[in-house]
Amino acid sequence: MLRSLYRIWPFLTPYRWRLGSGVAAFGLARLFEALVPFYLAIGIDMLAEEGTADLRRPALAILLAVAARYAVVTYARYAVRSTGLHVASDLRRQLYAALQSQGLKFYNRHTVGDMMTRAVADIALIQRLISMGTILLVILVYATLVGFGFMLYLSPELTLLLIPPLPFVFLYAKHASRNMGIASQAVQERLSDLGTHVQENLSGIRTIQAMAQEAHEMARFGRTNQAYADAFYEQAKVNSLMTAWMPSLAAVCTLTILGYGGHLVMSGAMTVGEFTAFFVYVNMIVQPFRVAGFIINLFQRAGVASDRLHEVIDLEPEVTNKPSGNTPAHIVGAVSLRDLHYQYEPDRPAVLNGIELEIGAGETIAVMGKVGSGKTTLLRCLVRLADPPAGSVCIDGHDVRSYPLAQLRAEIALVPQDPFLFGDSLRANLTYDDPSRDDDAIWHAAQAADLKRTIEGFAEGLDTVVGERGVTLSGGQKQRATLARGLVRNAPVLVLDDCFSSVDTETEEHILAELNRLRRGQTTIVVSHRVSTARHADRIVVLDAGRVIEVGTHDALLARGGWYAELERVQREGADEADFDGLGSTP
Amino acid sequence: MTQQRDYSLFEAELTGAALNLQLLRRLLRWMRPYSVTFLVSAVLVLAMSSLQVLMPIVISLVVIDGLIQGNDTERPDFGMTDLTHWIADFAGMHPLLAACLLYAALQLGWASTGHWHRMTLITSVIKGLRDLRQDLFDHLETRPSSFYDRVAVGRVMTRVTNDVEALYELLRGVGTLIGEFVPFFVALSVMLSIDVPLTLILLLALPIMGGVTGWFRRATSKLFRLVRQTLSSLNQDMQENLAGMTVVQLSGREAQNLERYDAINVENRAHELRSARVETLYGAFTDSMAHIAIGVVIWYGGGQAVQGYMTLGEVVLFTQFINMLFHPVVVLGEQTNILFRAMASGERIFQALDWDEKIHEPADPVALPPRLAGRLQFKDLHFGYDPGVPILRGVTFTIEPGEKLAIVGPTGSGKSTLIRLLSRFYDFDDGLIYLDGYDLNRIHTRDLRRRIGVVLQDFHIFSGTIYDNIALGNPEVTRDKAIDAAKKVNAHAFISALPKGYETPLSERGQNLSQGQRQLLAFARVLAADPEILILDEATASIDTETELLIQDALRKLTAGRTSILIAHRLQTIQEADRVLVLQDGRIEEIGTHEELLEADGLYATLHRLQFQETA
Repeated sequence: MLRSLYRIWPFLTPYRWRLGSGVAAFGLARLFEALVPFYLAIGIDMLAEEGTADLRRPALAILLAVAARYAVVTYARYAVRSTGLHVASDLRRQLYAALQSQGLKFYNRHTVGDMMTRAVADIALIQRLISMGTILLVILVYATLVGFGFMLYLSPELTLLLIPPLPFVFLYAKHASRNMGIASQAVQERLSDLGTHVQENLSGIRTIQAMAQEAHEMARFGRTNQAYADAFYEQAKVNSLMTAWMPSLAAVCTLTILGYGGHLVMSGAMTVGEFTAFFVYVNMIVQPFRVAGFIINLFQRAGVASDRLHEVIDLEPEVTNKPSGNTPAHIVGAVSLRDLHYQYEPDRPAVLNGIELEIGAGETIAVMGKVGSGKTTLLRCLVRLADPPAGSVCIDGHDVRSYPLAQLRAEIALVPQDPFLFGDSLRANLTYDDPSRDDDAIWHAAQAADLKRTIEGFAEGLDTVVGERGVTLSGGQKQRATLARGLVRNAPVLVLDDCFSSVDTETEEHILAELNRLRRGQTTIVVSHRVSTARHADRIVVLDAGRVIEVGTHDALLARGGWYAELERVQREGADEADFDGLGSTP
Repeated sequence: MTQQRDYSLFEAELTGAALNLQLLRRLLRWMRPYSVTFLVSAVLVLAMSSLQVLMPIVISLVVIDGLIQGNDTERPDFGMTDLTHWIADFAGMHPLLAACLLYAALQLGWASTGHWHRMTLITSVIKGLRDLRQDLFDHLETRPSSFYDRVAVGRVMTRVTNDVEALYELLRGVGTLIGEFVPFFVALSVMLSIDVPLTLILLLALPIMGGVTGWFRRATSKLFRLVRQTLSSLNQDMQENLAGMTVVQLSGREAQNLERYDAINVENRAHELRSARVETLYGAFTDSMAHIAIGVVIWYGGGQAVQGYMTLGEVVLFTQFINMLFHPVVVLGEQTNILFRAMASGERIFQALDWDEKIHEPADPVALPPRLAGRLQFKDLHFGYDPGVPILRGVTFTIEPGEKLAIVGPTGSGKSTLIRLLSRFYDFDDGLIYLDGYDLNRIHTRDLRRRIGVVLQDFHIFSGTIYDNIALGNPEVTRDKAIDAAKKVNAHAFISALPKGYETPLSERGQNLSQGQRQLLAFARVLAADPEILILDEATASIDTETELLIQDALRKLTAGRTSILIAHRLQTIQEADRVLVLQDGRIEEIGTHEELLEADGLYATLHRLQFQETA
């Protein structure tokens, strides 16, 4: 755990003076705080000893101590808290940068939710460790030192008698804080179940009502609701027991003062003032033992959080950008794949198993194949979303790895399968790579992607915000928008990964015709399931299990009578006979 | 047609009043069944508070004044001195020991009454709100789906979760305040009986503390809001960036996005630092006030003591009561924020309970025979969601028992509306749709929906196992029946290939299933329920050819001998239908077999040419 915590140190060094001065100020504040009961004791003793004592002196001393403490403690708390905030914000930036340099291998292993937990909960834990953990640690050390110091000065024997209950206070506090942690986690889980249940029900309300499932669902919700109530009750019980028994355990110390201290006062060995002051001091030393369990817990959790953060921050960028310097200034578009192998994880089967393919500049290629045959990975290798082994993917005769990454990805425009749009205006989405593009270019691309009429249908036009807080687009509209985003770049090489799956055939035909016109003489690679799409290509490449099994023109492949020909027949005639087995396995 | 309310404005209808007594009264209705528990809790809090006040009295009045100083007090000590002496005499022990024993007893009493006060309070609150939440859910679950056309599910969901949570805070807050203020008044009365001027001087601190607390709340509430807003923008930015990482990297936007994120990050930090400054200024303030009060007690009380107006024990007692006097004010400041939030939440909850949109059920529903033939008649059906915007404009046709009818037409032609009306998701006039001769409006929706199986484009998966998702809680669908259904619709193969087969848990959105597999599962669900009429809204997304073939085959089995209405997007589906109905602008453009319509060379023939032109 210490090693994990130590890894936070580099983030603390810029703020070490701030933090150090804060810690020192806390010590001073404790001293001033301890002066209050000290002068209270003096004042009470002056009273007890009869006489015409002038009580202004102790009273004034208390007020001065209070004022000094206020100033010092305010500074100390701010210094420590602001350190925590600075570290958190630095960590956040670092994490964001680290996440952006990771690639598909990383995102295949880690979900967005997992990363969000690290960014939100783990950073918050580190921040709390610094802001609160430091304060608690300081309280623990100073309060114990100062409290014991003053008490030993007043009455050593009574002070020693107060020590035995303290370990029990600590153990109970540790036990209770563990139980509270468990109980509150259970409550969180049940609450999230509750949210999921409601969300699921309301978004599926049509299905539920169409299937007349209302009563069944209400009963099911009753159980989720009850489970939450039970967890909540359990948490309340743990908290309440802690509220009840913690002071009672501490009261053992109070009783010791009352009994033994009272005895000392009556026998004249101690003054009434000192006796009274002890009641205040005892709180000062019990408190650290009460929070110690909490501190340990906080340090442990922050240690885990630190590890989880560094797991990401310390990662090397997945794709290195080391341009060789001798690559051409602009890509023309000849692609050659030589014995291309690729696997995402060492322990999983390879996705590409020696692809050999030459694509001439200006050629239009359709890539086909079953799900999992490696089509998408092949396209990813072209722009190093999946980083191919050296020498296996060349553009215009140069290894893709020797191009500047920015150039490679700007001049080979890949439109991914998943139509992702940001929650922003259509304009911002379509010009995501270069916001300075003018509207003409956008409309041009929108026209080609058959999106123009859709945009014109929105009152706000290009400024229409899409996504959760704006207009919800249909699957087809989203796909056409991402297609327009790719087309607007007017790149020498255009790569479309199954971009027509949610577009109806009529629209697809229209877009393909547009593409044919626009991309004349430019390299275009298209992945598709439909023969009607593929037949427009100069050549068709069929992949199976990471290998090229057929290459040729539409007519040549039909004549060959292989997988493509069978697919064409099925899509043309439909499945009259039950011979879809033939397509399941490779011929 | 009933007038439809626009729920998109519902947030604006909230009054946002801080103190809404009507709302509290309404809330109490849910607490009523648990009022006895609540009363017990109130009695216990009185006991707890009294014990809390008695403990310092034992220390100052009994021990310091009585035993140490040797002057028995004439002030009200609630019989503590007498009790101490009685214990001492009874057990034959030193009075100091007896005082310790008394103190220990008071402490244990305080701990137990406190615990049971909190538990009884929380029990009544938990149960009351559990019932409220259930009622709210039941209410929402039975709103017609037309209602959900116009409200965002997320917004409604938070009413069941977060808003009910806020009420917990409110009711618990009230309990906390009672627990704070009862000792406050008991301590105050003891202090007044000892020395009125000193008590009044100490009370002067309360408005100051109240004022400062109020300032602090105002100052921070604005800052906290800014902190929350920037923090949520930070999270949203990161979430979106992660979700669209491929696009970010393909567009080379990394540096620009980092800059954008860091700008929000810096802004957030600035707000955080500012609120930290205010909080630290306030944080040390309340305990400083308590310390100042100790100084005042020593100064003034000391003077009184010297002149014999106050005893030493009484001065000490005052210092011990200071916290009981000051703490409630701090808590009150904290609770007002909760109160504000809870009022708004309560209003949202009751507003949701007042949404009364519903589908009208027949007063005298007909009893359907055990097995329907399945003839459907549409008679000059006119319908529109909003007045003045007709969707269907006089649709008349009949589907014979066992017939398969494909409906095609451009987007917005009224296809989906037609099937929504058939499953009675909306109210419409009498005499428009007949099932086996019964007017649809005379059949209870519950009975109707058991006879009509609907497969929607977006198949909804419930969290649960595959079996649960096929059976949907219908006790008649046994495991064997479910497996049978799955086998028939070609779903058995992929289900058996899953690690746990039919017991495989499905996640909420069914991410662990492909589009095609979800479609097959939807078929299995309908087949298991075995309705007389099938409605299918075919998914548009293209599916790989193998799965596509499985689906077509399953569909053939599903529709065999069953009256079926298919909103078709695929040529295959249309060709399999007995007749094709072409809908345009809410009117029937053409109806007939595939061949007839091709021959007629009308709209269908045009659509067909465009969409399904020969591939060769």
